[in-house]
Amino acid sequence: MAILINKKTRVLIQGITGRAGSFQTQVMKAYGTHIVCGVTPGKGGQAVNGIPVYDLVTEAVSEHKVDAAISFVPASFAKDAALEIIAERIPLLVLTTEGIPDQDVVMILDQAKIMGIRVLGPDTPGMISPGKSKLGVHPHTLFKEGAVGIVSKSGSLSYEVGRVMTAKGIGQSSVVGIGGGPIWGLSQEAVLALFEKDPETKAVVLLGEVGGTLEYDAACFIEQNMKKSVIALIVGRMAPKGAQMGHAGAIIEGEEETAASKIEALRKAGALIAKNSLEIPNLIRKIGV
Amino acid sequence: MRLLEYQGKQLMANRGIAIPSGSMITSLQDLDGLEYPLFLKAQVPVGKRGKAGAIRTVSDVSEAVVVAEELFRTTVGSYPVCALLAEEPVGIQQELYLAVLIDKKINRPLVMASQAGGMDIEAVAKKSPEKFFKQYFGLHTGIQDFQLRYLAKSLDLEKPAPFFDLVKQLITLAREVDATLLEINPLAITSKGLVALDAKVILDDKAAYRQRGLFQHIMEEQQKIDKREKSEAAQMAEAANIQYIPLDGDIGIIADGAGTGMLTLDMVIDAGGRAANFCEMGGQANAEYMEKAMAAILANPQVKALVVSLIGGLTRMDEMAEGIVNYIKKTTESVPMVVRMCGTKADVGISLLEKAGIKTFADLNQAIQEIIAKSREVSNGNSD
Repeated sequence: MAILINKKTRVLIQGITGRAGSFQTQVMKAYGTHIVCGVTPGKGGQAVNGIPVYDLVTEAVSEHKVDAAISFVPASFAKDAALEIIAERIPLLVLTTEGIPDQDVVMILDQAKIMGIRVLGPDTPGMISPGKSKLGVHPHTLFKEGAVGIVSKSGSLSYEVGRVMTAKGIGQSSVVGIGGGPIWGLSQEAVLALFEKDPETKAVVLLGEVGGTLEYDAACFIEQNMKKSVIALIVGRMAPKGAQMGHAGAIIEGEEETAASKIEALRKAGALIAKNSLEIPNLIRKIGV
Repeated sequence: MRLLEYQGKQLMANRGIAIPSGSMITSLQDLDGLEYPLFLKAQVPVGKRGKAGAIRTVSDVSEAVVVAEELFRTTVGSYPVCALLAEEPVGIQQELYLAVLIDKKINRPLVMASQAGGMDIEAVAKKSPEKFFKQYFGLHTGIQDFQLRYLAKSLDLEKPAPFFDLVKQLITLAREVDATLLEINPLAITSKGLVALDAKVILDDKAAYRQRGLFQHIMEEQQKIDKREKSEAAQMAEAANIQYIPLDGDIGIIADGAGTGMLTLDMVIDAGGRAANFCEMGGQANAEYMEKAMAAILANPQVKALVVSLIGGLTRMDEMAEGIVNYIKKTTESVPMVVRMCGTKADVGISLLEKAGIKTFADLNQAIQEIIAKSREVSNGNSD
């Protein structure tokens, strides 16, 4: 089971001939991801790791059935590339690209909504369902198959938590990075909802950080919609005040953004709070998963 | 990137938005030959300048000299005041608030307006959010006339037409320059129409590649009047495009991601250590980046020990190790350091580091315990 992807998910790689794209293609393929084709404009007819490359997404999807796409296209071409995936109605797009201008992200997400496409990211490591498939850049040796879902804003923090859990013998159903930038597609609540429905997932680890108001929404969602246990770790408790730029976002929401207030909101919503990554395995054991 | 008031106003004026007539004051001589009374406004990228006494009224040139001298000695936020905007007063009938921005919660741009313009807008927003009127719009469809009519009615405007034009001009401007915030507070209603008395503009740094001329122009202007004293470490980090926040401890931190960087900081402090900085390189880091980060962090003389916290996904550990080893080869001075390394190509990276005699850990906590012990040895050694 797991969420969003499984062994059968057929994947298109956008930007397959680039430095990150070709390296990660090789890693994903070795892991067992079912990669069927790749696209790079001007490189059609080539092959990367035995995977056929096309100039256009429309050519690729006329030759192959595709369930999901992952983009390694640089920021300056990312909007065009994402809209090309969306135009072909590939149901899931993972946007790993960091540094796409906000306006472009808004346009991508607007169009995705109209066409009914799920976008994970941008600026995301993507996701991994350990032992099944990987649609992203997670260092998979740190993860193992199991029953705990992880949803994280930060990629590196999800790797660290995966590593600590795996070292204690606790595996993961799926590990999802929603994206590190200011704007992103698939929401934390949407991922939590998928985990709540997934029979394989017994508990969820929520990883957050200081700044923004994301975790308040997650707290609300957990309180109202989740029966499964949630373990939360919010990093940046020791971040100096004012290090984060407080701009007009703060005017809209008029809320506190400190780690402490987020932790309190999550605790009130029934989440178990971990102080650091090391405490997470013990908390999972405590609830009997 | 946040613009200075006069830069934001210039952007707006170029699009036909009315601003008070004014001139830049960088020396006391500039105050001669102006028409008084006028306002002197410190040009620093910091909010609440009015409250900080950085916006003043002067009635003649002799008063202006006294006030300007005082302002030039002042520091607002961390910014020494080096330039003033001298502006003529306008006859204000009413002060409004108007902004165009992206609501990051729902990924949509919006126009936000209020009759409660002026000082303490944040406090108003917190206490009485109902005083702010919002209209969301799509980047494809743009704002519609009914939305403008709604805003004008909510603000109880007698003459809505100039307001409609202004909102449309701001939306176009935001599109053209990749602004994530255009804020006019206060927006004055005067006998001559709407006038932007202040301008807060934030441009999207991620769009720098397609706004090159504009970004360069703004940065060059700002550098001329930015007399902040920056540490060597901060300057090096800035030049290398590495995020660096100085703290007051003695343990340097370098991380390859924001999340683990913050976790490392939390854990160092929880374990009784004192962090000298927060630094994260982002997912694009390669060997050269790593080498520059080492150079920047160790340029801080307070750093007595260094923890490098690496867990690679997109970042490759062989490249990180290469950067660390390259730095160490080039330098003679050294502080105790530990590297936590795991993830993509970690086996190659660890063997590179071990050959160079650098201790590595897979476990973050062990790495932190080790470096705290080392930093204590160093400070005990110094006090002997």
